[in-house]
Amino acid sequence: MDIVAILQSKPVLIGLHLGFGIIGIDAFLWLLGKLKGDGNSQRSMVITAAIGTVAFIASWLAGGYYYVAYYGTLVKPVIKSGVAPWVHNIIMETKEHIFLFVIPLAMTVFFITLLPKEEMDRLKLRRLALWLSGAVAVIGLLIGVMGFIISATVRWGAIN
Amino acid sequence: MDKPKLIISSAYAAIIAIIFVVVITVGAELSAPLKDWLKDFFGHHWTSKSIFSVLLYVIATIVLYLSHHKYSDDRLKKTLGFLFISTVLGTVILTLFFMGHYFQLF
Repeated sequence: MDIVAILQSKPVLIGLHLGFGIIGIDAFLWLLGKLKGDGNSQRSMVITAAIGTVAFIASWLAGGYYYVAYYGTLVKPVIKSGVAPWVHNIIMETKEHIFLFVIPLAMTVFFITLLPKEEMDRLKLRRLALWLSGAVAVIGLLIGVMGFIISATVRWGAIN
Repeated sequence: MDKPKLIISSAYAAIIAIIFVVVITVGAELSAPLKDWLKDFFGHHWTSKSIFSVLLYVIATIVLYLSHHKYSDDRLKKTLGFLFISTVLGTVILTLFFMGHYFQLF
C-alpha cells in the first residue's frame, strides 16, 4: 500500500478532517485571546491566523474528499435506515454547507491581522476582528459537534 | 499593498459567497433540475457548490481590490459588522431550512 492509498483510506481521511479542524478552531481561539490582550506582536497574530486558515482548508479538503468518495454510498444508507434518519437530512446537510462559510471568513480575519497594531486601533477594528475570529471558532466547534452526532448515529445505526 | 482595501474587498466577497451558498443550497433542494445541473458540473452537487463559492470569493476579492472605488474607514467597520451578521444569519437560515425541509413544511 503506497502513501496515497493510506491518505485516501477512510479512517485517515476522517482523522485528517478532525485533526486539522481542531487545529483551526484552536488557532482562532488563540487569536481571539491575542486580539483581546494588548501585549501580542502583530507577527504572532499573522502566524496564528495563517495556521488557522491553512488548517481549515486542509480539513475542508480531507473532509470533502471523504464526503464525496465514501459518505453517500457507505455512511448515508446506514444513517437513513437507522434510529435517527433526520441526522442526515438536518445535521449532515447543515454541516456540509456551513463549512463553506469558514474559508472566506477565516481569510478575511487573516487579512485584518496584516494591519499593524496602531492602524488596527486607529480604524477601531480590534473588536470586530475579535467577533469574527470568535465566529470562525464557534462555527468550527458547531461543525465538530455535528460531526460527532453523525459518527455516533452511524455507530448506533450499525448496531441496530 | 492597501491593506484596508484588501480587508473590505475580502469582506464584501465573503458576504457574496455566503449569500451564494445559502441561495444555491436552498434552490437546489427545491429544484431537482438545479441540483442535477450542479452534479453534472463537477460530479457532485457539493463539490460544485464548494468550487463555485471559492471561485466567487477569490474573483470578487481581486475585482473589488483592483477597482478604483474608494472606501471610508466607517464603511470598512460597517462591512465587517455585516459580514458577522451574514455569517450568523446564513447559519440560522440553513439550519432552519433543513429542519423545515425534513418536516415537509416546504
